[in-house]
Amino acid sequence: MLDHDKLQNAENIWLGVAVVMCVLLFTGVVASFLSGTFPLVSGGHASGIASTRVDPKNLAVTPFAKPGLRQEGTENELFMVAKVFSFDPAFVRVPAGVSINMHITSADVMHGFYIQGSNINLQIVPGQVTTLRYTFKYPGTYNVICNEYCGIGHHNMVTRFVVTPPTK
Amino acid sequence: MTTLTPQERQDTLSTPTASTAGYPMKRLAQFYIVTGFIALFVGVMIGPLQALNYADVNLYNLPILRNIIKSYYQGLTLHGVLNALVFTQFFISGWMFYMPMRDLKVTPNMKFAWGTYIAMTLGVLIAAVPLLTNKASVLYTFYPPLQGSPLFYIGAALMVACSLLVGGQVVFEWFKWKRAHPKQITPLITYMSVATWMMWILASLGLVAEALILLIPWSLGLVSGIDPLIARTLFWWTGHPIVYFWLLPAYISWYGFMPRQAGGRLASDPLTRLAFAMFLLVSVPVGLHHQYSDPNISGNMKTIHMLLTFMVAVPSLLTAFSVTASLEDGARQRGGGGLVGWIRYLPWKNASFTAQVLAMISFIFGGAGGIVNASAVLDSVVRNTAWIPGHFHITVGTATTLSFMGIALWFIPHLTGKKLFAPKLALFSVWAWFWGMMIFAVGMHWQGLLGVSRRAQISAMAQNIYDNAHVPQVITGISGVVLLVASLAFFTTLFGTLLSKTVSDGEDVKIPWSEAISTHEDSKMARRLEALPALWLAAFVLVGLTYGPVLIPMILGRNLVPGYTNLW
Repeated sequence: MLDHDKLQNAENIWLGVAVVMCVLLFTGVVASFLSGTFPLVSGGHASGIASTRVDPKNLAVTPFAKPGLRQEGTENELFMVAKVFSFDPAFVRVPAGVSINMHITSADVMHGFYIQGSNINLQIVPGQVTTLRYTFKYPGTYNVICNEYCGIGHHNMVTRFVVTPPTK
Repeated sequence: MTTLTPQERQDTLSTPTASTAGYPMKRLAQFYIVTGFIALFVGVMIGPLQALNYADVNLYNLPILRNIIKSYYQGLTLHGVLNALVFTQFFISGWMFYMPMRDLKVTPNMKFAWGTYIAMTLGVLIAAVPLLTNKASVLYTFYPPLQGSPLFYIGAALMVACSLLVGGQVVFEWFKWKRAHPKQITPLITYMSVATWMMWILASLGLVAEALILLIPWSLGLVSGIDPLIARTLFWWTGHPIVYFWLLPAYISWYGFMPRQAGGRLASDPLTRLAFAMFLLVSVPVGLHHQYSDPNISGNMKTIHMLLTFMVAVPSLLTAFSVTASLEDGARQRGGGGLVGWIRYLPWKNASFTAQVLAMISFIFGGAGGIVNASAVLDSVVRNTAWIPGHFHITVGTATTLSFMGIALWFIPHLTGKKLFAPKLALFSVWAWFWGMMIFAVGMHWQGLLGVSRRAQISAMAQNIYDNAHVPQVITGISGVVLLVASLAFFTTLFGTLLSKTVSDGEDVKIPWSEAISTHEDSKMARRLEALPALWLAAFVLVGLTYGPVLIPMILGRNLVPGYTNLW
């Protein structure tokens, strides 16, 4: 048999532990933002999600008219268009060790943009541009997968990023 | 103030008022529960096809199947809508309506109540037409600009709106009771039910607005475009708290009825109220944690929603403590002892009890995974991967569904006066469901970490990009077979019971009302927490503060795009 006082004591301790655990978790995530592991608050790959809107029926008048990687000033800009059921460009070659601004939009419905085995995992919304800044550290071939349901061919919407060794 | 012991409460209920054999709520509750289980039956029969897909086995090409279900995505839409939306809502509308009414010893307006049931069922039937004819294979998140048949949105909106009428009737009867008993503290079961319904009414506003303002006019062709980001944000306004709407009715049983089923007492009545009051306050302003990777939403607002999501973990952690304490109390009263030795003394032969304990165990893992998903940093690794269905099959798929299955094993005999058919088979089925789901969760979480996408017909891919995932794929496939066996066993018991003869008025199967070790007598906290309407208002304000700064800029900068009806 459990008695009231003993239980209440244990309950209060447990409530304290629960609150401390949740606060620590939150602090941990914020520390990760600040340290740049996932820099949402200051700089880095998620901070650059820009408030840009486009007309998905008229991408021709936007930088998305010619998707691909190009140098603009000192910046490397990559424009990509997701559409059922492929990415444009279908194949991207990027150098490792170089910071790249990726801008992705959709020409039709919702899509996903997920670089397999990484934490680059984005929602692509028609009418909106998802932007992030990222530096590929390691050369190799990466699958890029649409991971938001977009129709009957969704599972075949895959492209590749080839990250080439840094040019010194 | 008088408080009745559960036995006295039973006795007063034996008088003819609003109770016992002729209690008109019984038949209504039975209709809700059985309709829900019929939906679940159809839904889970499609489940193994999904599990086998994640084992790289594509059964959707079988000609016999192709005649019924056109594609993997239509099957997945049916599976999700029937299990997660239809089953849960019907079960809850029976369970969380009957229990508070019986607890308050009142009979609501039955004509209105039956009208709601009929309209809710009509909603499902309307939505079923496009779902079954492949005109709305848009999955249960139905993100525009994928555009399903207007019938799908109209039927779904009607169904959800009816849940608000059920909740409204419960809240209304509680207000009436409060006016008649101004000095009394609300009985616990009613308190938990009213708090949950209040939360759901606030939570559902997002989906109601999405359906009425955006989806229905757009799918009927009255407007030319839709803003997918606004629609998605409104969807998650409802889409996250809906999981608490699924979970809290199970908590009502864990707190309110399982202690008696275990032979013990509820640990603390006031603390139970505190947990539900916290859920009412912070369940809703959390939806942005589903949109960490969406463009054009303020990072600060995402962070605030993350903090609030973590805060919702606190009442669940309280529940873990409290419920375990009451089970221990029961086991010790039954002769158990030791630090953990008492566990053996729980009534493991009782399938209803066992189902719910197993549901709790699954939720330890489910809840932990949920905290991972809520963290923006880790979410970016698991978002939209197979990890997510792995997660929600041990939360809604087990913590909720297995609890509801367990509840049904005493509730249906209580409502119908029929004897439980094949109790041993029932016991087998709940263990099999538990293990099936645990194995499924291992396979899917593991695949997710390897980058396998969720909601993808990976068994029909043109290229092989998941070569590293063969082991978890096999595990997922095995779980599908285990779950098929579990479902067949459970539904044999359930339909066997329903098809058997009525042998009593059902009152011999007593409602397991539980006593509490710490009661609400003289509890200041319980008295303060009676102010549910004030808490409800505070919850509205909190939602305004956390969603206003998100939605207002979206509406001002809205960007309408055309719909697509022919992509599946």
